[in-house]
Amino acid sequence: MNRILAAVAGLTLLWGALPGRGAELHVLVKDHHGKLIADAVVLATPSDPKVAQRAKPPPDAVDQVDKQFVPYVKPVFLGSKVRFPNSDHIRHQVYSFSPAKKFELPLYSGTDAPPVVFDKPGVVVLGCNIHDWMVGYIYVSETPFFAKTEAAGKATIDDLPPGEYTVRVWHPSMEHGEDSTTRRVTLSAEGPANIEWDVSLKPTFRIPRVSGAASPGYP
Amino acid sequence: MPYAAHGDWTLGGEVGFRHDNNVGNAQSSPDIVEDSVISARLPIFQLFPLGESYSLTIAGDLSGESFHRFTGLNNASIDAALALKKKWGLGAFAPWARIGASVARSDYRDSYRNAWIYRATLASGQRIDERWNLWMEYAFERRAARAQAELVPGLSGDAFSQDSHNIAANLEYSLGERTFLTLGLLGRHGDVESTTARSAKIYYASRALAEDPAFGPESYAYRLTGTTYGFRVGINYAPTPHSLLGCGFERLETHADGGNSYTKSVPEITWDYSF
Repeated sequence: MNRILAAVAGLTLLWGALPGRGAELHVLVKDHHGKLIADAVVLATPSDPKVAQRAKPPPDAVDQVDKQFVPYVKPVFLGSKVRFPNSDHIRHQVYSFSPAKKFELPLYSGTDAPPVVFDKPGVVVLGCNIHDWMVGYIYVSETPFFAKTEAAGKATIDDLPPGEYTVRVWHPSMEHGEDSTTRRVTLSAEGPANIEWDVSLKPTFRIPRVSGAASPGYP
Repeated sequence: MPYAAHGDWTLGGEVGFRHDNNVGNAQSSPDIVEDSVISARLPIFQLFPLGESYSLTIAGDLSGESFHRFTGLNNASIDAALALKKKWGLGAFAPWARIGASVARSDYRDSYRNAWIYRATLASGQRIDERWNLWMEYAFERRAARAQAELVPGLSGDAFSQDSHNIAANLEYSLGERTFLTLGLLGRHGDVESTTARSAKIYYASRALAEDPAFGPESYAYRLTGTTYGFRVGINYAPTPHSLLGCGFERLETHADGGNSYTKSVPEITWDYSF
């Protein structure tokens, strides 16, 4: 009997450890008016740091399409190599002054630019020296477990090893720091956990792309 | 210059409607006439980044104006421009300066107003942050029209040619992600053209005189030297990233030789599109 129980327990543990049998975290992010928020980065940091160990981060990319960064917000894992392909027919000059990563890619077109390694956690604000209105964000995450909300304000982090997590959210227009959103949650393989955030956003000011007759005129 | 020049043409479009409460720049109420104007413009430009700090812009546009009442003022113009811009630093908030030159040809329905317009500009500015943008511009403009026959012996008939020095200080302030306000302070010194009926006061101060039938059979254009002050305020809304709706108001006050002064108020709405 004891052998049977031990076998069942062992299979249960093994089943839980198999890929696809991890925990799931479903997230919904809204603002104080109930409006669903896209481009919010949700981060789940396990209490056990060993859980966060992951193999080499996959390569990532932020494209430039119609003189805009696509996507507008890109979460990447610490140490990621990010390419900046240019899908426009003009050249761009991508740069960042952010403490998490200062870099500049001299004028280029196509896929000529070398990848940039993001080796410090934090927010990296992207700009183009030619097209002032272009702005984008790379969030360099210390945890490999993250996701970004879609237009409906929803995001899912799946395949999480069960256990204790600190979960938080970040958005480019968030009024308060991401630490103010911190929650602790215990995740299990039994069923998904759901977390909802109401965050306050500050007004966003963007450099206008079309500036009209009264502005400096041609760039 | 470590990088080869390369760029793509960027096309735009603008339509506008304005109301000018003193089209002829007249001082006295019988001569003051107002009109509404529909305008359209097709600008095109190509930007050539020249290394880290410089860019060269080649630009041109086709434009036209249609007057509701004074149809002789209807016109079409073609313009070509060249500008060199320098930025001190990287990014949107780096200070910049630009020197430029342009030449335009304007053809009027009443062809005696046809003119070549030469313009040299020097501009500088800096975007302080995402909300505030500040820039100034100086321009010398020469408008060269064909001289008309002398109506009075010894007094030039070249009333539609003008030289002027223009300065403007402009401020832009974002109210939100899609809306921004503009304020411009304007100054101008040089030739002005004022169309009135026969008047001894303006005649003795004028440097040129010509008939101006676009305003009626007894209308005369006088060229004077004057100084103009004014302002322009506007609110702009971007319904899409590529377009901009604008609503503005311009007020100008001109003091010309011989005590000839006039004012002008011009409300305007515009729609701009840029590809």
